Amino acid sequence: MKAVGARLPRYDGLAHVTGRTQYVDDVRVHGTLWTKALRSPHHSAAIRSIDTSKAEAIHGVHAVVTAKDVPHNVYGHLEALGVPADEPLLAADDVRWKGQPIAAVAAESEEIAQAAVEAIEIELEEREPILDIRTAPATGDEHFHQWGAIYPHFGPHNHRRVRKGDIDRAFDDADLIVEGVYRPQAIEHCPLETQVSLVVPEPSGRLTIYSCTQAMYFSMGVVAAHLQWPLNKLKFVGGTVGGGFGGKVDTATETICALLAIKARRPVKWRFTREEEFLCSSTRAPWHIEIRDAVTNDGWILGRRTLTIHDSGAYARFSPYGLTKHAFHHTGAYTIPNLRFDGFVVFTNRVPTTAMRGFGVTSVSLAVELHMARVADLLGMNPLELRLKNANRIGDTTGNRVVMHDPSTVPVTLAAADAAGLDLAAEYRSMTQARRTGDLLPEHLVAQQAPDGEDLATYRGANGGGR
Amino acid sequence: MEGSVDAAEVIVAASPQEAVEAFGDGRDVTVVAGGTIVMPEIRHGRLHPRKALLINRAGLDGIRRDDGRIVIGAGTSLADLEDAVEPLGACARRVADLEIRGQATLGGNLCAPPGDESPRGDLQAALLVLDAQVRSAGEGGERTEPVEDFLASGPAGRLVLDVSVAEPDAAATATVRRPHAHAYTVMRVCAARAGGQTRIAVSGAGPTAVRSRAAEQAAADGAGAAAERVLDDVTLQDDAIASSWYRSQVLPVLVRRALNDLAQGDR
Amino acid sequence: MRLTVNGVEREVLSPPLTTLLDALREELFVTSPKAGCQQGGCGACTVLVDGEPRRSCLTPVAAVDGAAIATVEGLGDGDELSTVQAAFHEHYAAQCGFCTSGFLMATEALVARSEGEVEREEILEALSGHICRCTGYVKIVDAVAAAARGDVNADRASADTGPQGEDAATVIPGSPA
Repeated sequence: MKAVGARLPRYDGLAHVTGRTQYVDDVRVHGTLWTKALRSPHHSAAIRSIDTSKAEAIHGVHAVVTAKDVPHNVYGHLEALGVPADEPLLAADDVRWKGQPIAAVAAESEEIAQAAVEAIEIELEEREPILDIRTAPATGDEHFHQWGAIYPHFGPHNHRRVRKGDIDRAFDDADLIVEGVYRPQAIEHCPLETQVSLVVPEPSGRLTIYSCTQAMYFSMGVVAAHLQWPLNKLKFVGGTVGGGFGGKVDTATETICALLAIKARRPVKWRFTREEEFLCSSTRAPWHIEIRDAVTNDGWILGRRTLTIHDSGAYARFSPYGLTKHAFHHTGAYTIPNLRFDGFVVFTNRVPTTAMRGFGVTSVSLAVELHMARVADLLGMNPLELRLKNANRIGDTTGNRVVMHDPSTVPVTLAAADAAGLDLAAEYRSMTQARRTGDLLPEHLVAQQAPDGEDLATYRGANGGGR
Repeated sequence: MEGSVDAAEVIVAASPQEAVEAFGDGRDVTVVAGGTIVMPEIRHGRLHPRKALLINRAGLDGIRRDDGRIVIGAGTSLADLEDAVEPLGACARRVADLEIRGQATLGGNLCAPPGDESPRGDLQAALLVLDAQVRSAGEGGERTEPVEDFLASGPAGRLVLDVSVAEPDAAATATVRRPHAHAYTVMRVCAARAGGQTRIAVSGAGPTAVRSRAAEQAAADGAGAAAERVLDDVTLQDDAIASSWYRSQVLPVLVRRALNDLAQGDR
Repeated sequence: MRLTVNGVEREVLSPPLTTLLDALREELFVTSPKAGCQQGGCGACTVLVDGEPRRSCLTPVAAVDGAAIATVEGLGDGDELSTVQAAFHEHYAAQCGFCTSGFLMATEALVARSEGEVEREEILEALSGHICRCTGYVKIVDAVAAAARGDVNADRASADTGPQGEDAATVIPGSPA
């Protein structure tokens, strides 16, 4: 542990300041072709026909690929985690977001590739797009997704649920109900390095794939699945990422490049333009979060009802996973014994959304903290004191019954108060994270408290299934 | 490949005369000065020049005095204009960032086509209030005209050689800027007083900068009166930078501020 | 066309409207300037043209025929980092590193035209065209300020990132155990 607290140079620092760090776009392989994609100009449309013959005839074009060239076109990023596949690599029957790739071209120059893209003849029948997660579920059979508007694979439910305690009793017992709606919006990762990969066909028949992915093994699996190749035919070279922030887990370019490289028998590179990065690469998802808290006049939060709608964009990708994490954190740093959380993943005709730092949790943290401020405001209570009172303490359990062993809410809140020079009443100033007792253990918090020294495996409280 | 940018005829003019000759009547010629506007268009395949005329080495830069007026070569960089006569200096200082200002030029800024997604032509309003005369070459030969006429007829087909301005008695400018990695000007009002006459111009509200004669006439009744009239002369646009509603709300405020500053004799 | 790149005269065969960025990266294999946006908005492509920091993605190579181009590859020498490079390394001013080349060249120009210390405001103004998505800029500004003061250890060997401390067991083949 000699490294902890020591000032160590970054292992990649010298390379960065000498310009020697090799990003994918810096790799030079003789004969590399450039890629451009034909992308949907509409939010939602049926593909009636596509003819790539004129593009293929252009001098300098070495390969054009469409859905029919993909051995296994529809593969789910999280199939291994129980999220069935819904997204095609290249659009086949319809396009569901503006910018969705339909075809790709590999050519001697970017200019030729772009000319070839423009020479592809395609017939699209525009459809009315569905863009609002609040009204999407009402579109019924007219919804574009084969599963309908709402992702249906959370076990037996079409939403992620958290149930704890007796939510109706909590709302009956409350002195005040505090409501709030929070809608954090999409954020573009905007890394300085755009999405890029370079695929080199080897004489042995293998592919060497230089990738900017944040998740090399994951991307290797995705490419292998689409190509229907064994993993040992792929060699990934990467780990040098010019900024990812969660946006470089979607394996955005590797597979299509691989198809082109195989067809063209040449190395192929696809580097997104900045415009493509902004308009066509995945973003952090927009969310719609409604919170209703049952509170007492003296600042106890007895119960919380939460409705979350997550905008998955046109396909599922990682959204169910993000929503699940969001569900786990919907009480924030606070102990709320009675809970009813329902979270829905909804499909819209927008760019499919993906992970971005704190995936799923940043949205609910924002909502929870804004809501705590609202509760404090309506109760006329110091917002820090409200937090300290309801803070997680040792032995408290989370919404999904994880027992807290070392929750930091109290020491962090006190440190924040110090740093901001804010006054606190003496009883709050002296609070710690120790197990709740006495005044800090009112009747309504008894059942959620784990017996002393017990952990999740052994704890069986009176809270059973909840309603 | 037919029409490829690689096949364009490229002339790097080594003198003003060479630039004028190569420009000819301007038909089918793309002028590249600093390149800050034109090069992205070429690089992204939105502009396919058949003939490109590079003027960065044509001796068209430089600032001199001539008969009481300040003559600024079209190739003068915005960096070299940062200390120029106000309000031109204030406008130049606030364009993009240091590196862009080092290569962007007055001529390029004057001739900038309207941008839907990024602001262009920041200097136009300053030139309008400074009674700028634009000397250009093109079909019909060389001519000199007020910048207002130049902007109205459109810069296409003209190669700007220099712009001359008169030093005003007082000048002011008010702007709203978008905080950003490098803050840019969303909208700007320039005002200048010379020989008892006040000129008011607006940039960033419509496709090009415009003079507001209605505001100028009302200015005699105070800054507030002028502010109320400015929208008579300005066609507001909706774009990625701001909505027309936003512009309608903020523009009168900028007029008021600029005229109040002008009254205090700020330069 | 000809460019003197980091002191070495190079012939350039790219078409005249090729951007300086593309000519450097694709023809001359000088890859430290990066393609971040190809429209002058991010600063990742900044190089020095006759000593002045310029966006290479906005510059047609014909416009700089004969000019002296300086990139990161020409900074420092085998044994020593330049003051600016050392400052960036010591102050952790790079995370993913993609924006770093542009910042380095802009800083080299700033330090060259300044005499000693540079005010924070002037640093922000000089570098305002450069975007970094990783660091939040604080350490970059610290590095630039340190470089301007000359407050760095430029010895490259000390910047080595080899095993640290007596716990680092290094087994060298052929040596006694």
